[in-house]
Amino acid sequence: MGASLPAKEANLFKLIVKSYETKQYKKGLKAADAILKKFPDHGETLSMKGLTLNCMDRKSEAYELVRLGLKNDLKSHVCWHVYGLLYRSDREYREAIKCYRNALKIDPDNIEILRDLSLLQAQMRDLEGFVETRQQLLTLKPNHRMNWIGFAVSQHLNSNGSKAVDILQAYEGTLEDDYPPDNERSEHGEMLLYKISLLEECGFIERALEELHKKEFKILDSLSFKEREVSLLEKLGRFSEAEELYMKLLSENPDNYGYYEGLQRCMGLYSANGQYSSDEIGRLESLYSSLSKQFTRSSAVKRIPLDFLSDERFCSAAENYVRPFLTKGVPSLFTDLSPLYDHPGKADSLEQLILELEHAIKTTGAYPGRVDKEPPSTLMWILFYLAQHYDRRWQYDVALKKIDEAIEHTPTVIDLYSVKSLILKHAGDPVAAATLADEARCMDLADRYVNSECVKRMLQADQVALAEKTAVLFTKEGEQHNNLHDMQCMWYELASGESYLRQGDLGRALKKFLAVEKHYADITEDQFDFHSYCLRKMTLRPYLDMLKFQDRLHSHPYFRKSADGAIRCYLKLYDSPPKSSAEEDEEMSKMAPSQKKKLRQKQRKAEARAKKESEVKEESNATAVLKSGKRQVKPVDPDPHGEKLLQVEDPLVEATKYLKLLQKHSSDSVQTHLLSFEVNMRKQKILLALQAVKHLVRLDANNPDVHRCLINFFHKVSSMPSPVTDAEKLIWGVLEAERPAFSQLHEKSLTEANSMFLEKHRDSLRHIAAVAEMIFVLEPHKKQEAINLIEESSGYLSSSNGAVGPLRNWRLKDCIAVHKLLGSTLGDHDAASRWKALCAEYFLHSTYFEGSCSSAVSNSSYHQSHKLAENGNPKISFADQCASSNGSAEKLDSLKSLVIQ
Amino acid sequence: MVCIRKATVDDLLAMQACNLFCLPENYQMKYYFYHILSWPQLLYVAEDYNGKIVGYVLAKMEEETTECHGHITSLAVLRTHRKLGLATKLMTAAQNAMEQVYGAEYVSLHVRKSNRAAFNLYTETLGYKIHDVEAKYYADGEDAYDMRKQLKGRKHHHQHHNHHHHHGGGCCSADAKSDEKPGSAEVKTE
Repeated sequence: MGASLPAKEANLFKLIVKSYETKQYKKGLKAADAILKKFPDHGETLSMKGLTLNCMDRKSEAYELVRLGLKNDLKSHVCWHVYGLLYRSDREYREAIKCYRNALKIDPDNIEILRDLSLLQAQMRDLEGFVETRQQLLTLKPNHRMNWIGFAVSQHLNSNGSKAVDILQAYEGTLEDDYPPDNERSEHGEMLLYKISLLEECGFIERALEELHKKEFKILDSLSFKEREVSLLEKLGRFSEAEELYMKLLSENPDNYGYYEGLQRCMGLYSANGQYSSDEIGRLESLYSSLSKQFTRSSAVKRIPLDFLSDERFCSAAENYVRPFLTKGVPSLFTDLSPLYDHPGKADSLEQLILELEHAIKTTGAYPGRVDKEPPSTLMWILFYLAQHYDRRWQYDVALKKIDEAIEHTPTVIDLYSVKSLILKHAGDPVAAATLADEARCMDLADRYVNSECVKRMLQADQVALAEKTAVLFTKEGEQHNNLHDMQCMWYELASGESYLRQGDLGRALKKFLAVEKHYADITEDQFDFHSYCLRKMTLRPYLDMLKFQDRLHSHPYFRKSADGAIRCYLKLYDSPPKSSAEEDEEMSKMAPSQKKKLRQKQRKAEARAKKESEVKEESNATAVLKSGKRQVKPVDPDPHGEKLLQVEDPLVEATKYLKLLQKHSSDSVQTHLLSFEVNMRKQKILLALQAVKHLVRLDANNPDVHRCLINFFHKVSSMPSPVTDAEKLIWGVLEAERPAFSQLHEKSLTEANSMFLEKHRDSLRHIAAVAEMIFVLEPHKKQEAINLIEESSGYLSSSNGAVGPLRNWRLKDCIAVHKLLGSTLGDHDAASRWKALCAEYFLHSTYFEGSCSSAVSNSSYHQSHKLAENGNPKISFADQCASSNGSAEKLDSLKSLVIQ
Repeated sequence: MVCIRKATVDDLLAMQACNLFCLPENYQMKYYFYHILSWPQLLYVAEDYNGKIVGYVLAKMEEETTECHGHITSLAVLRTHRKLGLATKLMTAAQNAMEQVYGAEYVSLHVRKSNRAAFNLYTETLGYKIHDVEAKYYADGEDAYDMRKQLKGRKHHHQHHNHHHHHGGGCCSADAKSDEKPGSAEVKTE
């Protein structure tokens, strides 16, 4: 390095490198300039200066200098290495790898470059290359612990676990008997645990257990030790030993449900789907009754039996379970029991049980069969439970009655308002729900949880400006909104995106969805530093877990939602492009082709110029920032409203980018293929659309949306003109061959298939609506038949009328979809208004249907606050809303002064 | 009711979401990675019957100081899940691991002066004592109590360790730690 320089300059060069490593960039820059004064063409110095500038946010200068340096000294591994580092810093990993490879051609045994290369290979999952580089590093420096571990890990990643074990064994062979010294004990223990889990993974269970026992005294992490041991014993079928160990683990932590499951497995009493024979249930019951004597403080031993018990045994166990929680006032009781509502009968039993408790407390003040009086709060918690219970069973009116009774009983408990807000949201009044959530928020301004809940409700009510102002009360610094973004607050960005999309503001919606997508890219990038860190720290088990986690990162629900949202934005953008560009298109279409081309070129040039200008601007901003010393100043977002995001050339190309990620990482989700269908139909990619339909039918043939796609698809292709070109003929051939593979369409016309679907799903509104829509699509002249089909179905709706009557099968969401279908797709406004009037009677709180209790109706108590909320001023709404809608105005009044503005 | 178990890498996104929903002190994902990839034994979660993460503790070891000790970076329990003793259970689990795996002498944490509920939990239920007051510790200017709890002493046979850094100065430890903010420890409890 710096070899060609005289001694003084060579020292200066070392200083640049050191300054770079210690992040003292100014110092490095000074040294570089000193060398360049004498040797202005010195390649390595130019490169290092560039690399230093890169760290000072002077990107374009950096690239210029690094490239110049390389040009001046193509034979320098330093210049190539630096070029690679520069690319690396911009996440251009493939380019960086190329540069490192060039550097290694010049200096094949350069440890530093090999190490950097290995990190990139790990990052890019170039596993073969990774193994190769790691082997080279070990060969060059076998006395470094890290190189042994690195080679082993690389083999493991490259699916060669047993090789990895061998390497670790060989490494252990190099150690002294009294290894490790005290300061490396926990690290060495981690390595041993890693080796043992590797053995387990390779199927060497006996050996793993043997090794575990042999090294017991060297493994400090005794919990991991036991957890590993129990897993190995179980795998070896040594169940009684495993059972004993699970009991030991439970005595240390009786709240770990995994241990109970393990215990059941060892006793042959575990079934993944929760189905047990009556004999098994008997044995389980006695197991848990003995466990409950041992672990008296654990609620798990009382909760788990509720899953497998039924009928009377369930009722009495449930009663014993809920009573103390209701007395104590545990707010999460309903959430805890909510999975039981999926079991038929258990929800009814719980309803009866809690109603009996309510009755007893109301009449005697005590639980049934008890003399001791309950504290007054017990009744409130019972009402609180019942409200959530009826909400879950879609009986919103009863739910609201119960929660109002609870609030009247004790107006100061925040949870009551939160739950009321949730019920109102389910009942179809998002505005009233937001109002209630704001009341809850005002009751404890220091609690971010109620703040977040309120923000969520505001976004659901499309009060985005208000939501933002409210959320910001809990984020620091001047640039409030950015803080939510910087901290990767994804639920907020997704909820904002959805709201903007509902409101048709595609630019802002896209901005939010893509922000979430960016977080995932950042998280992928986050792993980079840990490729070397974990080898040093020896935290190999979590490191491997982290790599696996990263490999399926994009299947995470938040990512799915963001990609889904972005694709829907692009579809909408494609279907109805913004006006300005539509007008432009019209003008364009009047032009001659040559003129069009010229105009396009002109536009492109202008764009490029603008881009360059903004870059220069940024650069000079960065310089100004450096000079003023305020490094914290964030670059101003050049497109805060996402307007530029709307100016994409082809929205479907953009949509396809995100679609591909969904197809790769969420291929089992119906929504992925529904989106693929929509995108590919618009792109006229018939075979890809067919593939989407095939996936859909495989995943869920009974789904009404899937039915829609199936019918739509074959209807569309049947109306295509006969094939002319070879490609068209080929597609035709594939379709001919594939159609019989759909059993739904086997020897049936589409109309017949549609009727068959109806017969199968006559009791579901969603399915009926899909069939009706398809009747219209297939035979537009049968529109009236379609409308009748829907309207006749409403007979079911009226029969379920009644306060606490039979359960309603009709969901608000579906009824809204039907209304839209009648009004827009079928275009029958009379039918739509009939439907609306009908639904308004049943969904009293629905703003969409203008139900009589909803805030959409002017005489409703929530109406006024709604208006205030709309103008986006939280201050007015707090006070007024708090005061208007319940009797606790006085207490809330005192909080008014605390409202942060 | 709620399962208390060691956190895995797969829990981190949910822990971050839980943190963002209920605490004012937040961290980027990388900071969570840093914790689990440094001290995998010190992260615990509370998971409800639906599999939702409703609480967590994020803790670390302070390895630069002479006295090896643990530090609670962040503890959260959702408001909906209070009154179950979850904070106590999470804290106890993390403290035990610090002592048992790393031989920690004591454990420290910061709490807002105004957060009486948390303060009471620490002093009365968990046995923490005020060690110091750090003026304007939090970004909004509030003071913090620097609290400490002495751990019972070694259960295992090894001496001080981990003052030793073999390959120090690498980019990662510096990078990962540079994310660390002084205003990081935050506590919210029943």
